[in-house]
Amino acid sequence: MSKFYFSGNEAIAHGLIHGGVRFITGYPGTPSSEIIPAVQSLIKQFSLKAFADWSINEKVAYEIAYGACLANIKSAVTMKQVGLNVAMDPFMNSAYVGTVAGFVVISVDDPGPHSSQTEQDSRFMAMAAKIPVLDPSTVEEAYEFAQKAIELSEKFSIPVMLRSTTRISHGRAIVDIKDFESSNTIQPHFKSSKDWSKQLSRFAATPKQRLELHRLLNEKIEKIAAQNKPKLFFNGEILVLSSGAVFAYIYELIEEYGLQDKITLCKLDIPYPLSKEKFNFIEKFNRIISVEETYPVIELQLDTEGRRNGLVPKQGEITPEVCEEILEKLGLIKNRKTLQIPPLKRPSLCPGCAHRAALFSVKKIFGKKAIYAGDIGCYTLALNFEATDTVLNMGASVSFGFAFSKAFELGNKKQDVISIIGDSTFFHSGIPPLIDAVHYRVPFLLLILDNQTVAMTGNQKTLSTPHDFLGQPLKTVSIEDIVKSLGVNFIKVVDPYDFQNSLNTLKEAKEFLKKNNEPAVIVFRHLCINTKQGLQNNPKIPVKIEKELCKGCMICIKEFECPAIVFDDEEKKANIDKTLCISCGFCINVCPTKAITLI
Amino acid sequence: MKLVILGKGGQGVIFFSRIIAQAASKKAVSVRSTEIKGMAKKGGTVEIQMKIGEGLSGLVRRGTADMVILLSEDLIDYAKTFGSNIFMFTKEEIEKALSSVPMRYVNTFLLGIFVKKTKIFDCDDVSKILDEENKKSFLMGCNYVQFSPGNSSERGN
Ligand code: SF4
Ligand code: SF4
Repeated sequence: MSKFYFSGNEAIAHGLIHGGVRFITGYPGTPSSEIIPAVQSLIKQFSLKAFADWSINEKVAYEIAYGACLANIKSAVTMKQVGLNVAMDPFMNSAYVGTVAGFVVISVDDPGPHSSQTEQDSRFMAMAAKIPVLDPSTVEEAYEFAQKAIELSEKFSIPVMLRSTTRISHGRAIVDIKDFESSNTIQPHFKSSKDWSKQLSRFAATPKQRLELHRLLNEKIEKIAAQNKPKLFFNGEILVLSSGAVFAYIYELIEEYGLQDKITLCKLDIPYPLSKEKFNFIEKFNRIISVEETYPVIELQLDTEGRRNGLVPKQGEITPEVCEEILEKLGLIKNRKTLQIPPLKRPSLCPGCAHRAALFSVKKIFGKKAIYAGDIGCYTLALNFEATDTVLNMGASVSFGFAFSKAFELGNKKQDVISIIGDSTFFHSGIPPLIDAVHYRVPFLLLILDNQTVAMTGNQKTLSTPHDFLGQPLKTVSIEDIVKSLGVNFIKVVDPYDFQNSLNTLKEAKEFLKKNNEPAVIVFRHLCINTKQGLQNNPKIPVKIEKELCKGCMICIKEFECPAIVFDDEEKKANIDKTLCISCGFCINVCPTKAITLI
Repeated sequence: MKLVILGKGGQGVIFFSRIIAQAASKKAVSVRSTEIKGMAKKGGTVEIQMKIGEGLSGLVRRGTADMVILLSEDLIDYAKTFGSNIFMFTKEEIEKALSSVPMRYVNTFLLGIFVKKTKIFDCDDVSKILDEENKKSFLMGCNYVQFSPGNSSERGN
């Protein structure tokens, strides 16, 4: 045993590898993105025979990892909660078909939400799919439950979900980690299995056979529910049922307020599936309440109080403060202090980010009247300077480009429509709607902001990365080749730092769209300056603001919004914050009075 | 003990907190923390909550922190929602750090000041965790406090 101060995601990675998992795929998404890199370090450290890397999207990641489990290799797939939506098809189906070797689906939720489109509950999805789900309450449990999940999957031949949340995955604690005994034997088999003919009706089942598979799935779920035991703490007449991080907060509050004789706390390591018979002991309590994040999973299964009667807030993270409020509502504590929390400054793109440069040029040519359909990535923050009107989910910018353009065409109205998508989001789900747009001859401008990395989630690799984490060569995939091959006739690649060329290309695209009924595509390519390589290769053009020339118009702040340009309210002039400025020099193009100049 | 460490992306807040956690792990059986980084990479708020030797979660309820270590002055109102005992570095300390060591080691210099002033951890314990360059800058921070008495920045509000 050794002790490590691990994050929940590192703990999960160790748990998976210790549980024998050797095939892991995923798509980056906060707060799940650190699991695969942590697995990769273990692979390197112990020279393991294993595959662990990113896939093009969650559906593909799911299918690849699940396929590997059918070939008898213990496997896992990682994603964030909204990524699970993308993988829903194989997720639902794999429950019916079941597994050969163990298979764990790691879905990390973001109650709050802190950095997501929704605060949906992956446990709810597991319940919909009839897939058992483990919900760790601490970082230590994240390590332990990753191993338990693989055991449970092997025992019942069923995919098992490990649901984590931001507070677990991005929490840290000292964890006892078992010494690693590296076993390097991988024994794939498929057709060589003894009962191959029996398996065939699972792997390629007809609808009739699916009915039988559903029956088998129900049987498995009932068995797991029958074995699913609650853990009870303290001894009061009110029963609080919980799972995940929330359990820890309530436990702490009971101790702090001395409520041990008022509340019995019931912890569910596996919040789905539960059997009502197993839980008939709950009837003896005065009140039975489920406090869980973020949807009523335990509550619906055991028909308790909670969200549905308003005791637990229907939205938002269940923080320790919220748990305290619930205890107050129950009359168990009094005089709780409530605090006004001042808002934090809104986030913005990094100083020197090329996305800002690209979108500044786009606004110059297309103006405020154009519709800007945005997407999921750092560039979502362009809504701060009015270069993004919509953000729905991965890839929707391209579908919206189609939709808005067609809608205005049907109404006989002229409307400029611009879709904005990043390189990895384009690969993830921007290609299919572009194919539709080409096929149906829908004119709009698609901007692909290519910074050669998945920047928002911590700079993971993309399909343009020429080697994997071990330095092995990979075939790079060219965005412009794909776009051309779809039949797009206007495709240009520009460096957004080249202001003049950007403006000219955008003008050309505008002309093209006037004359042609088909989409135009511009790839704005510049490395993310938040990477070591990107920062090193960036031009160094130090700038200053000439006080006499600055009229205080704030265009550089409102229309461009580089965090390194700050406004001095007393002087009524802009200033460069040297601690933030990376000397990219682009703002020289921004000031209408030429106050921003070279040093 | 409940700590909250607040600052901005790029200030080395996470590094700062990891060293504190490692030093704490030498003294207590449990160290737990939670990290919230905003969507902005550079200049976004970074919030670390930490419990040393207590609790099951790393979260610190508002109003209950024993100390809030504030690395970015403009977050003061937000910091106060966690507790009234706020530790901040003075202007002189920050200038001293900036003029004494290269940018990369500024936060270990400041860490030295923090450790020496608050006496929560032992300077020796902390210096053992650090690599050579960081250790040098850390000890310079410790020494700076030692030789400039009456220079207190611990504020009660
Ligand atoms: S991480 Fe990269 S892409 Fe994201 S805002 Fe910063 S520079 Fe731009
Ligand atoms: S040079 Fe201008 S645009 Fe570039 S980082 Fe500095 S202030 Fe921002």
